[in-house]
Order: sequence, then C-alpha cells, then structure tokens
Amino acid sequence: MKTTEFIEIAADLDNPYLQKWKAEGKKVVGYTCSYLPDEILHAVDLLPYRLRGINTTSTMIGDTYFGPFICSFPKCVLQLAGEGQYSFLDGAVITPGCDSMRRLDECWRKTGEDYPNSAPDFFHYFGVPHKIVDYSLDWFVDEIRDLINAVEKHFKVKLEEDRLRASITLYNNSRKLTAKLDQLRIQENTILSGSDALAVILAGTALPRETYNMLLEDFLNDVEGSKKESNGKKKIMLLGSVDDSIELMQTIEGERAVIVADNLCFGPRQNVNFVDESEDPIPALAKRYLQQSDCPRMFGLYKERLETVKNRVTEAKIDGVILQNIRFCDLHGSENGLLERDLEAAGIPCLKLEREYGPMVETGRIKMRLDAFMERLDK
Amino acid sequence: MRKEIMEYDLDWTLWSMMSNASKLSNSTDKELAYLLKYMPTFSELPALFSAFGEAGTTFFEMAGTYLNNILTARERGKKTAITTFCLSPAILYAMDVVPVTLELLTVMATVMWERGTADYLDFCIEAGFTETSCSSQRGSLGAYLAGLGVDIDFIVNDSPGVCDTNANAFAFTAAYLDKPFFQLNMPSDLTSKRATDYHRKDFKAMINFIEDQTGTKLDQDKLREILEEVKIQEELIGEIEELQMLTPNPSPVEFSFLVYSTRFLFSGSKEGTKGLRVLLEQIRENAAKGISGLSGGVEKSRALFCYIDHYTTDMRFWKMLNKNGVTHLGNILGRSWYEDSPLPQHQGNKDESFSIDTSNMEAMIDTMGAINARMPMIKSIRGPYDNPHMWLDDNLALAKMYNVDFIVYSGTPGCRNTWGMVKLFARDTEKQGYPTHLMYSDAFDDRVESWETTQSRFEEFLQVRRLV
Repeated sequence: MKTTEFIEIAADLDNPYLQKWKAEGKKVVGYTCSYLPDEILHAVDLLPYRLRGINTTSTMIGDTYFGPFICSFPKCVLQLAGEGQYSFLDGAVITPGCDSMRRLDECWRKTGEDYPNSAPDFFHYFGVPHKIVDYSLDWFVDEIRDLINAVEKHFKVKLEEDRLRASITLYNNSRKLTAKLDQLRIQENTILSGSDALAVILAGTALPRETYNMLLEDFLNDVEGSKKESNGKKKIMLLGSVDDSIELMQTIEGERAVIVADNLCFGPRQNVNFVDESEDPIPALAKRYLQQSDCPRMFGLYKERLETVKNRVTEAKIDGVILQNIRFCDLHGSENGLLERDLEAAGIPCLKLEREYGPMVETGRIKMRLDAFMERLDK
Repeated sequence: MRKEIMEYDLDWTLWSMMSNASKLSNSTDKELAYLLKYMPTFSELPALFSAFGEAGTTFFEMAGTYLNNILTARERGKKTAITTFCLSPAILYAMDVVPVTLELLTVMATVMWERGTADYLDFCIEAGFTETSCSSQRGSLGAYLAGLGVDIDFIVNDSPGVCDTNANAFAFTAAYLDKPFFQLNMPSDLTSKRATDYHRKDFKAMINFIEDQTGTKLDQDKLREILEEVKIQEELIGEIEELQMLTPNPSPVEFSFLVYSTRFLFSGSKEGTKGLRVLLEQIRENAAKGISGLSGGVEKSRALFCYIDHYTTDMRFWKMLNKNGVTHLGNILGRSWYEDSPLPQHQGNKDESFSIDTSNMEAMIDTMGAINARMPMIKSIRGPYDNPHMWLDDNLALAKMYNVDFIVYSGTPGCRNTWGMVKLFARDTEKQGYPTHLMYSDAFDDRVESWETTQSRFEEFLQVRRLV
C-alpha cells in the first residue's frame, strides 16, 4: 500500500474497508479514548472505530449541547454525530479521558433525542481510573468485565477466551509493525514525514485489524529505499492534545522541518507496550491499558512522562519540541507549561502553541510562530 | 507579579485582615465609620459582618484561627498539606495535619479585596498553568507557586474522576513545587458495593500516605473525637436546612455561605461547631418571629443555586439578592448528606446518605470514606448528570422540598465538568417548571464578565420571568 492510500483513509470518516464490513452485516462500535482495549470488541467481531471530529464546517450542534468553555474536539465529534455522519455506528463507548470527553456521554444521548438516528442504540460508559495501583487495576478489570457483559447482552454475542487470545496476538503483531514504523521515523535520515506517519496510524483506527496489519506490512516492505525526508530539515517532536489533523502536521513540517517523533493520543504511543499473552487475558489487558502513563489524565505521573520525552529526544536526535494544546484542554495545556520549563532547562528548545481542533482557521498565526521557532533552531 | 504584591505572603495578609476584622464589632459606630475610611478596597465586607453581630464576628475569628494555624504550623511541629474543598478536612485534623485549602483562600481574597486575586491568577499563567483552568484554585495557587505562602509539605486531592480540572491543578502544583502527591479516585457511581469497597481501599491508602508524610500513626481516639464533632455539626446543619424550608426563609442570605465555609474550615473541630451554633441561634430567633432573613424583611422569591455562589468584592452577590428580595436556599457546597438531614430523608435512599459509626477503627475509616464520597461535587457530579443520585436528581428534589421559584447556575469558565452538561440540566429543570438562569460570569474573577453585566443579566432574568 502507498502512503497516499493511507492518507485517503485517514482523511475521511468512511472508507471502502468499512463499507465492506458493514455490507457483510457486521457491526461497528465507536470509542473515544486509547484506554479502551480494542481487543474486547474485536474478539466478538465488532469493529472498534476511534471517533474523530474531522471535516467539520461548523460546531453549531456541538455548541448547542456543550457549553461555550469546552474543548472543540468533543464538540466536533458531536457535530458529526448530529449531522448523521456517524450513522454507520452501532454503538459507542465513552471514557473519562477528561471532563469534556466525559460529558460527550450526556451531550450525545441528548442530541440523539433531538436528531433522529444521530446516536447509536448501544451506549456504554467505561470508567477508567486515574491511577495505577493494585485496587485501581481490580476496578479496571471489573470495568472490562462490565463492558463485555454489556456488549454480549446488546449485540447477542459471546466472548470466547480463545477468540480473545487470538485478538490479543493480532493486536500485539500490530504493535510490532508500528514499532518498525517508529524506527523508520527516528533513523538518521528518516524516510517518512510526520504527516505520512500519522496517516498510517490513523488508518488503523478505522480499519479491521487483520486488514490493517496486512496493509501496514506491505507498506513497511515498500517504503524502504524511499527518498529521504529529513535531509537538512530540523527534527521535531510533537507533544500535547489530541491531534488527528494531517493538515496541521503538514503546516508544522512545511519545507524546513520533519516530525520524527510524537507523544500524541492518536500517535504510535498507543501501539507500544504489549499485552502479556502468557497471562489471563482480561487482567493482562487491564495491565497493559491502565499502565499507559503517557496521558496527563493519569495524575501525579509527570516525572515519568518527562523522562519518556527526554529519552525520545535523545534517541531521535530531536532539534526542538512543539508543545501544542487545544484551547480549554487544561490537562495538556498545563503539562505543556511544565514540560517547557523542564525541557528548556535541559537545553531542549520548545515552542508552546495553543490552537483549536477542526478546520485550520489559524494557519497564518501558527505559521508565523513556527517560522520564528525555526529561526531559533537555526542559530 | 507586581512588586508590591511580592512584599507580603497571601496567607499572612489574609490572617492579618481576618483577625483584625473580628475586632470591629467591639467598635462604636463612629469608630467603625472612621476606620473603614482607611480600608477603601475592602471596606464594605467588615461593615456587613459587623452588622451581623456575633455571627459575623465569629466567622472572622474562625477564619483568623484557620489562617493562624497555617502560619504557625511549622513552629508547632505540624505538617501542612495543600488540599481542595472537595476533601473533608476532618481526616487531616484527625492526623494533625494543617490543611491549606486553595479554594478557601481564593474566596477569602476574592471577597475581601477590590482587585480580587488578579495578580495570583495571572502568576499561574506565568508559571505555565493554563488560563482556562479553574479560577477557584488559581486565585490562591499563584501565591504558593510564587513562594508567597508558608512551606507546603505535601498535596492531597480527591477530585480525579469528578473534576479533572480541579485534580489537574493539584497535580500541576505537586510537579511544579516537587511535593509528594496523593489522589483519591472517584468511580462514576456512588451507591454500589463496588464503589464503597473502592472508596475504603482508596481512603486507607490515603491514610497510609499521610502517615508516611507525618511519621505518625492515625490515632483512633482522636479520629473518634473528630467524628463525634462532625456528627454534632451535621445535626446543626440539618436543623438549619430544615428551618430554611419555612416561608419566609428565616436564614439571612449570607448564612448559606457561612455554613459551608464553616464546614470547609473546621469540619470536626470545636471552632466549627461554635460557628454553626451561632448561625443556628440567629435563624431560630427569626423563625420564632416568623420573619425573613433578608435585609429588607420581605421575601419576594425563593432561589436555589445548583452549583456555587459568586464571590467577587464585598459580597455584592448577596447584596444583590437582598436588594431584590430573593432568598438563598443553598447550593451544592453546603448540603448535608448525613442520614438524618432533610434531603437524604426526603430522598429515602439510605445508600445515598452517610451514617457516623465510631465503634472501631474500620468503621470509622468507612465513615470517613463515606463522608468524603459525599462532599460537594464528589457526590453529585461524579457521574452522568441525569443518573440517579446525581446533579439533576438532587436539585429537582431540593427545588420541590424548598418550594423554590427558580434555579441559578453560577460557576467559572474553568469548570469543564458543569459547562459540559449545564445546558442540558437547565433544559430539564425548565421542563419541570423551574425557570433556570445560567450565569456566564467567573465567580472568582470579574475580568471575565464585569459585575455590572452579571447583575444586569440576573435582574433582567428576574424581570422577564416575573420572579419578583
């Protein structure tokens, strides 16, 4: 598969593989957060579909249900739902990634009362704890079991252990492939732009996993020997709020930079750390998913996240770090403040950038700030 | 931050003002008038409280004691902990830790100073914290980030899962100041056995954390003493809530503020009990006479505040209520969930309330966990707003019990949690027949919306909906 095909898939909510899946009479369940174990849905033949808010031209519906001081990401998701663009969903699972995302639960349910067919029949709230201790892990195991019960009951399916183990293996294979992709990005002369890499990752959130692994493997075999992307360009690491905008990545990269690493919700970080296949599958899934400390929703783990970023900066020979956050994203916004302080103190140049999710209406402002940052990196 | 602001610590300045204000009631009117001329930036508040006589003086004394405890913690060999109003301070008092509750200090400074806490709010942004975060923490947090307060030993917070914006402020503080941090997590449901078991384990882990920080084991007798005092306080609050159901409401509008402030300052302490007794006594007197607690004496309309109040300069929010004859029937901050209190009695769901069992250590820890799980916000906005036992349920029950004429939301733009659902909430309460007003102002920062605009929108609502 070529990069352009991944870009096509990533640039739209719908794709041919999804259409084929639906045409076969199979179901799709949307979800909001990387703390949801996809394997559970996959093992009962449901397509886990990561919800996005792309291609919105208005947030009129989002603004009607959410208040004004809310992040534009869930508003855009709600907008698309209200417009009926998520009508292919058979279910939705909402996770407390942050306060704004948590309230998507109520806002979407109420939108469903006003706009016919805008909300799926199956709605489930998946309560992920905010810390990693033995009893929160137990809680999370129970949450996973609740999700399984709800899914089994609504979709009239039965989760078999061998199917779950097979799904875990499949997703672990996917993680191995993503790790290869990541290595291609950070090599001395990278052959992948950040925006292309994002497209490859994003496609995985909307495709059946077997198909995705096959396409990704083909891609990795083909891409070796491609022209170098990084010749003379500044190597950037991108951190912060949820970003599934290829356009934003392209704007950042421009002619003078290449994003070779990131630590983003939609980025490759979700595909590292394997599920232990030798353990009982549900506790093993719980461990793998809850022990992701990369998101600031896991309170009190800033030092661990800082260490991860510093290691990545060294490994990928990063010239500068861009810390972006969507307006009203308090978690990333304030963590970016800490990261700026600590990374700059370690001699790593940083640019802190606030933006809106959705259509790129601030390109001029962002470009101007990026130019200034590039000038700084040139010195 | 402005140079002159850097000259004084926030906690010291507040202590100085509170303790001096408590002495005003000993002044003659002439002395008071003369003195107030020298306090142009916060003249009306002491005047207001001196007019309340013992209730006002007691409150200032109590606030002065709270602040003095912070200032003298080190010399008394006690540890200090930055914490939130969502965490009951009773456990900290039981473990000999001095609470430094950010939201309380923010309110004190916001209410008292003409300029509010603008300098501290802004310093947070200089320090890297987002300006879109909740101002209730930022208002005093800026001082501690700038080193304008006592040294802090550790940080305890209990809002993750309920209000991540609140939790984030404390996590940021811990990282910025490099202090030990503990968070209690809140599951989305309140009454399941699973949630209760989780609370127990989490609360025990917090006790272990505090023991590690202080080097002292939790004393069973001290905890029992504190809980017995909590019980007395909840019974007093329950009676106040009962009396507020009368028409006219005999409680002065400011007393709702004093009730919840007292609980936040001194839950489980003798000082708090004394403060509540003084308030109750005055409400009882008004009730016996059948008079309204409003300064004008005429109750025109009954308002329920579904979230918080508005705190900027000189308590003008409460003055506005008095001026319009609107009585204040409480908000999310003051409600008692003790088993004998009016709302849980009305709701009739035992699991929703808490009881106080001091028979042994395990029972007391469970009791503290249950109290904490029913603190403001923690109780009613932990799950979907329209779930049983949550925000809508509670407020519709209160609206009925207190025979309210309308409901008001006042909050902050930093409140992601309520702004994520308040439009839906208002739609539902309107459907139930309660006119509902959403205040778009910041309860702690007039720069977001001027007080004049806030007042004008509020009064327009009263007029248009024919509520006064």
